[in-house]
Amino acid sequence: MRASLGRYSVTGLYQGAVGGRNYARLAEQEALPTVLANTVVWVGVVVAVTLLVSLALAQFLNLEFPGRRLVRWALIVPWAASLIMTAKLFVWIYDYYFGILNRVLVAAGVLAAPVDWLGDDATVMGAMIGVGVFVSLPFTTYVLLAGLQTIPGEVYEAARVDGASRWRTYAAVTLPLLRPALLVATVLNVIYVFNSFPIVWTLNDRNPGFAHDTLITYMYKVAFKSALRDVGLAAAVGVVNVALILLAVVVYLRAVRWREQEA
Amino acid sequence: MRRRGLALVVLVALAAVAVAACERGGNAIKVVIADYSKDHTRPFWQALGEAYTKQTGVKVDLQVVDWNSIDQQVSTMLQNNQVPDVLNLNSFSSYAKDGLLYTADEVLSPKTKDDFLEAFARGGEYQGKLYGLPILSSARAFFYNRALFAKAGLAGPPRTWDDFVQAAKKIQALGGGTIGYALPLGPEEAQAEWSIWMWNNGGDWKSGGRWAIDSDRNVQTLTFLANLANTHKVTQVNPGKTNRTDGAFQLFKDGKVGMVMGFSPLAAQLDAEGKVDYGVAEMPSNIGAAVTLGVEDYLMAFKKKGNQESVKKFLDLYYQPENITRWITAEGFLPVTKSGLRQMSANPKLQPYLAALPNAKLAPTTDPAWDKVKLDVQQSLGAAVQPGGDPREVLGRIQKNATAAESGR
Repeated sequence: MRASLGRYSVTGLYQGAVGGRNYARLAEQEALPTVLANTVVWVGVVVAVTLLVSLALAQFLNLEFPGRRLVRWALIVPWAASLIMTAKLFVWIYDYYFGILNRVLVAAGVLAAPVDWLGDDATVMGAMIGVGVFVSLPFTTYVLLAGLQTIPGEVYEAARVDGASRWRTYAAVTLPLLRPALLVATVLNVIYVFNSFPIVWTLNDRNPGFAHDTLITYMYKVAFKSALRDVGLAAAVGVVNVALILLAVVVYLRAVRWREQEA
Repeated sequence: MRRRGLALVVLVALAAVAVAACERGGNAIKVVIADYSKDHTRPFWQALGEAYTKQTGVKVDLQVVDWNSIDQQVSTMLQNNQVPDVLNLNSFSSYAKDGLLYTADEVLSPKTKDDFLEAFARGGEYQGKLYGLPILSSARAFFYNRALFAKAGLAGPPRTWDDFVQAAKKIQALGGGTIGYALPLGPEEAQAEWSIWMWNNGGDWKSGGRWAIDSDRNVQTLTFLANLANTHKVTQVNPGKTNRTDGAFQLFKDGKVGMVMGFSPLAAQLDAEGKVDYGVAEMPSNIGAAVTLGVEDYLMAFKKKGNQESVKKFLDLYYQPENITRWITAEGFLPVTKSGLRQMSANPKLQPYLAALPNAKLAPTTDPAWDKVKLDVQQSLGAAVQPGGDPREVLGRIQKNATAAESGR
């Protein structure tokens, strides 16, 4: 916070206070609109897709079937692995020349020619989102699974007696009762995905400029890896980040509670 | 009475703090070294630190820091007032500009200072004084895949740019995924690759003390590189988004690539893997005489109260010929001292690089603006060689920023 009000030399040496000038300069940065848009897409899509897939996964894991314990354990793996290692692994999976993804897709006839997933401007964000979802699934699924297991069996019986179809049961019984778990999963995921540095940094490290950065990697580049090389300006980005995330969470919670009262 | 008591307590506390500060200054020095390799860097500096402590009684607080995060960590140290006594980095002039460093005369014996090779001593000067003490050097060389050259019917490495384009086309035409030339202009080290091409076309970073990044000659050079990618199509996919270590070098090590700009550590890796039969040659030149890029890393001594003697003894220990040469040899780099050069000339493997060293040019690291210019080049040059990129526009923007960085901001 204090750093955002100061001026620093390239070396990191403090050179005096400048008041709000870092914030004014931040607003002038050419890359800012792109970075903001990237951040919204990144957080929005990763959280939305994660929740949808997790809902299905949690439902599946809630069933009784042989080997369930094994599948549940397997799901924890991406969670337990370090984010940097996971990201590096995906760099190789996506690689144009050595990557397994291109090999599989070309062999299966899905693609006519290999794609440079991490170099092509059209696919970088999608590739990063895929990894973002992959690492967010375990936590989200377990939160939702825990939520599912708190739903008592009687309500399903009651629904069956009333002759409700499967989908109707899901929409009218399961989802509303999952609400607290969904709420927790959404809020924590928004914070977590917003702050996720290693995935975006590692998968995007070959691309020059700010075209695919989110606010978190932008902050790092402003401080150390771009011609700006400015700790004060980066601190201003950091303060804005915290404010934004707080705002997003408050707005979300407001919206949800408002609907609850409506219903 | 009570007030006197309080004053006494404050005084004692202040004295204790002062003593603690002195003790820390006198009895330990903080040495921050970049991690050149897992196998050699820490063991060498640890041993050197122990020898130093035995000799002087001063402890060494050694920190070996990854290259990826060293800028950040050093900046944090400076912000938090935990300045190192001795720092190893690839830039120095910003620190000299901020008035943080001792000059060489203050912390080196004259004998040590005179042993530096002149080009590297000059590369460590800021406003006429030596602040950036050369720690080691490297020089780039042109690597080519002999097997692919033979297959394409090429007699030897290209000497001119025209020959180079022909060779790249022939290798690319071999098909089966072979690539003529691996061109890494991604953010990792775009400024290095660019320097070599720029100099071998007679261009430069500066002209007459002013930045000349967007000169017509440089635009011509960058257009040539863009054409390699987009017109002749003899490079790997997306050269503006390819890094050196895990991009271009990886492809060359895999035998997919005909030519790449390498350096001695790449040769060491190729030898260890034994997969690619490669040759090392001079850079192809468009102006007759081949120029290569020399890179010099630095040691800096930070001014702190009461640390001058301790730092001086530490540096003199490192610069003893047997110490510095043992380490540089182990890491696979090139010497920065006359005595080191004499000793290392005996190694035939190093011949191509040592031969290139006298003609090597350095990036303008002596200019404090370079720290920003370098990062700007890393983050923008790649865009010029992507389809639709505009070399003149990209260089013009870098030039504008460089001129602005010079004048303060």
